[in-house]
Amino acid sequence: MDRPRPRIFRIPNRYLVLILLVLGFLAARIYHPVLPHIQVAPEVVFTINLPIVGTFAWTNTMTAMVIADVIMLLIAFSVRRSVRSGSLVPKGFSGAIEALIEVLYNMTESTAGKWAKKIFPWFGAITVFVLIVNWTELIPGVDTVGKIELAKEHGNPMQQVFDNVYTIMPAVDHEEVENDEGMFTLIPFVRTLSTDLNFTVALALISVTMTQVYGYQALGPGYFTKYLNFKALWNFFKNPMGIIDFGVGLLEIVSEISKILSFSFRLFGNIFAGTVLLFVIGTLVPVLAPTIFYLLEVFVGLIQAFVFGMLTMVFMSQAMMGHGDH
Amino acid sequence: MEADAAKLIGAGLAMLGTIGAGLGIGILVSGAVQGIARNPDASGDVQTNMILGIAFAEAVAIYCLVVALLIIFVG
Repeated sequence: MDRPRPRIFRIPNRYLVLILLVLGFLAARIYHPVLPHIQVAPEVVFTINLPIVGTFAWTNTMTAMVIADVIMLLIAFSVRRSVRSGSLVPKGFSGAIEALIEVLYNMTESTAGKWAKKIFPWFGAITVFVLIVNWTELIPGVDTVGKIELAKEHGNPMQQVFDNVYTIMPAVDHEEVENDEGMFTLIPFVRTLSTDLNFTVALALISVTMTQVYGYQALGPGYFTKYLNFKALWNFFKNPMGIIDFGVGLLEIVSEISKILSFSFRLFGNIFAGTVLLFVIGTLVPVLAPTIFYLLEVFVGLIQAFVFGMLTMVFMSQAMMGHGDH
Repeated sequence: MEADAAKLIGAGLAMLGTIGAGLGIGILVSGAVQGIARNPDASGDVQTNMILGIAFAEAVAIYCLVVALLIIFVG
């Protein structure tokens, strides 16, 4: 009983957790959660009319992108001060970031060797940014706080909680929602950026394109003989299998395109399925079950960010080394 | 059969592809654990490569999930 117990606002943490549990249970009883309208495309929050472009729709995933950018800049600026002070062993948060960077850099060095300094910025930036974006889905308020609009398809009735604050209630009678007019649905202000196919496909395109660029920088125009293997074709009389080697080279182009699809759909599928899972579990068992799935989502977000970055790093180092080295 | 019922059946059938991912990940982790048992010093390298391989194998299961979600929520 001697150690100081962890406490916030002079209340020991365990009582705070208990109070929040009871409040959560009461909130789930009075305002029962409703399954939101799930769609693959992100929802539009407002539209602006720009002079040349025309109608520009700001979606809720773009808000998440701005938030993730701000978080990343805050991390960078808070580390900058301790880097500038020149001490060899940074303390606190900067120390944690340094440990993370060191782990990633060691991995890059062991895979890429001498090209580690060119590849590591991509690995680090993609991993940290996708990690921040993935973990945004766990913050309370994301995907739940938004504006209420008239629903085009099935909607739910709404109820006033405070001034100007409304909530969506589950439908009481099945006969009431037969005509589906005047029913409401919620458009969240912030939706996880990784559930937007635009983001994942764009990041995959950047990753694969920069792999080709770095391969060209490292090997020169000879890099493209990976795809158009004319040397195997000219040697046709010495080695009749040259035609097949040429075909294999052409298949490498297909493999690069499948890498784009694979990158984007891996991240999108994992995180989108995670948000749908959280919605459904939050609707069915609102009181204690979401905790387990939040833990799963922490793990999945971390793994997917790491895998995206690491695959980028591995493909870049394979492109820069060429095939003649083994 | 109505379109809604066909959608649900299609989504359920699409998820059968996850059998392959489960088998693949099991074989992969079995190989990795045997590698670590043979050479515990290399466990860091083996573990990193195992995580990479698991991500590839799981991606195929995620493709099935994406197809199922697309069937239900989009057209």
